[in-house]
Amino acid sequence: MYSNAINLLAILILISSFILIANKRQNAYISTFRFQSLLLALVSLLVSVRSMLSNKKFDEVIIIFCLIVLFKVVIIPIVLKRTSKKVEYTVEKDFFINIPVSMLICCGLVVLCWHVIYSIEGINNSDTRNYLIYSMSVVMLGLFFMISRKKAIGQIVGFLVIENGMFLAAMLTTEGMPMFVELGLFFDLLTAVLIMGIFVFKINDTFDSIDINKLKNLKG
Amino acid sequence: MISAFLAIPLIAGSFVWVTKNKLVIHCTNLAGALLLLIFSILSLADIKKYEAVTGKGLFKDLFYIDSLSGYILFITALAFFLVSLFSISYFSEELRRNVITLNKLKLYYSLSNAFVLAMLLALITKNMGVMWIAIEATTLASAFLVGFYNNKRAIEAAWKYLIICSVGIAFSMLGIILLYYSSTITQVGSKISGLNWNFMLQNASSLDPSILKIAFIFILIGFGTKVGFSPMHTWLPDAHSQAPSPVSALLSGVLLNTAMYGIIRTLSIVNSNLGNSKYTGNLLILLGLLSIATAAIFILVQQDYKRILAYSSIEHMGIIAIGLGICTPISVFAALYHVFNHAMTKSMLFLATGNVYLKYHTKKISGIRGLINTMPVTGLVFILGVFAITGMPPFGIFMSEFNTVAGAVQSKAYIAAVLLLVFLAVIFAGFIKQTGKMFYGNNTNPEIKKGELDFIGPAVLIILLFIIVSFGIYIPKPFKLLMDACTDIILGGM
Repeated sequence: MYSNAINLLAILILISSFILIANKRQNAYISTFRFQSLLLALVSLLVSVRSMLSNKKFDEVIIIFCLIVLFKVVIIPIVLKRTSKKVEYTVEKDFFINIPVSMLICCGLVVLCWHVIYSIEGINNSDTRNYLIYSMSVVMLGLFFMISRKKAIGQIVGFLVIENGMFLAAMLTTEGMPMFVELGLFFDLLTAVLIMGIFVFKINDTFDSIDINKLKNLKG
Repeated sequence: MISAFLAIPLIAGSFVWVTKNKLVIHCTNLAGALLLLIFSILSLADIKKYEAVTGKGLFKDLFYIDSLSGYILFITALAFFLVSLFSISYFSEELRRNVITLNKLKLYYSLSNAFVLAMLLALITKNMGVMWIAIEATTLASAFLVGFYNNKRAIEAAWKYLIICSVGIAFSMLGIILLYYSSTITQVGSKISGLNWNFMLQNASSLDPSILKIAFIFILIGFGTKVGFSPMHTWLPDAHSQAPSPVSALLSGVLLNTAMYGIIRTLSIVNSNLGNSKYTGNLLILLGLLSIATAAIFILVQQDYKRILAYSSIEHMGIIAIGLGICTPISVFAALYHVFNHAMTKSMLFLATGNVYLKYHTKKISGIRGLINTMPVTGLVFILGVFAITGMPPFGIFMSEFNTVAGAVQSKAYIAAVLLLVFLAVIFAGFIKQTGKMFYGNNTNPEIKKGELDFIGPAVLIILLFIIVSFGIYIPKPFKLLMDACTDIILGGM
């Protein structure tokens, strides 16, 4: 029951990254990111509730659950939407590669992850193996999303998706890293997003656009 | 002892906001840097006596300094001290010319302290997770330092730096998760110790080799992005050339070593698990040669003197990687020695470019003529530095490069040795051809007056020149013993 639910959620997170790749507008992909974070929060809730039930003591993963809900589901999407409204310009096409082709590439990436994970003989638990495939694919898809979008906000969303994939991997393969590591990780990445947000404004001010295609001064 | 490493930069970094006096701000930072240097030497003495310095009480599971971390810690503190000294001259001039405001100066000092704090944390912790957090924090702290001048180029460089390094390092997190997974499925101990590199090193034989192999690749790619291995190096020339010169010196001389340290720790775990260095060695030699080749090609066509130095950092990281990859006592010793030599020589060169930039206001090689005539000390140090960095005797870099090649030949890695020598020759030619024009001839621009800006800047350059020359001729005994201890740690489990 438990592992089925976790499996389902993990697959849904992977599918939500595919939805992200298919999104065309900034607001749409911010919403998809919010949906994905909600799924991730559910995973952390399940992990912590289960460990609390079986060990009969307080489990710290629940703090991660609260943090994910607070920051990734509520605050970051709101801030990103506000930012994107402030720096709105008409970019006719936001992506370098058209969507059907990117979908195919992403399928290829998932197969690649599947192949890599299956070639590791040391992982003999099939659940762990699947979780690793899902989370690594989410990381890969996030990376692909980053390189295929022209706007700076798209890159931030891609980074956040990579982060989600990392948290998924940490939570499911090892049932949570030590608490201070997870907290440090979380706040590190939060600061990273904050700084990237500041730079979006700076780019907008100096280049009159957040089209990162215009960042072409430094070469070679 | 250990808490001092974290407390000093924190206090110095926040204290600069209290006062408005320029001199007090400069001195606070300098005093902090000096204290750090003293503490790093003290901890080296402790390490010599007790083998390692460990955290007390709450930090018992978190902090651990052995010879290797102590060695890199010392390099970090030394470079930071000299850069702090230089910053006084550099930023006083910038303030005088109204390029920056007083608040900007405070921002510089608090960010550079935060930057150093993050690097120190990465070095003194034994928890791989905390190490990752600290290395990611170095990116965050230095992103604003790279974009310090807020112009188009600086912001582009900072954005690239931020994005490429954050994403790259995410891969090493996956690697660390895999390491942790392999140590938790085999051990019964506590959750926390499973992430400690010394725990993993001691129990390396019970970890699973197939997981370790894939984890090593992830960590090599992840931290390798931060080290500047080709083909993940693209952020490096931009960031190093656009940052203010003192920051470039820190980025190149210190930050790259910190990231390399993360790779070294993983390397020794994987090597001692597999029993030989073939797997990790091949990967490192391949990446190293690729980096040197990339640097050699790009140095030939640069028009910006800071970018040339940045590409040269990529080259030297490649040489260190080859030394580690060959993994014999002589080559590992050479790699460690090279870490020190490169940190000092490259800091010296970047600081010298700071003086040149303040004088000529251009980073283009074509805009600079008659450097030795205009700025005798800086010009002379710069030209000697160029010879040092390209591997001429009697400087330290020659010794370590020579030993790396000797190690390669000794372990019958002839192809690597020959390629290395060929690329080094190309780099030497490129360097001399590109930068040679800067030094001679006559300055045609009447606005540029003869003479150095002040005495602190050239003094720092002379100190650094003295260090690299003396370490090229003679390695002091305690220093040699320290490097031997580090070599033993890296080769330990094999």
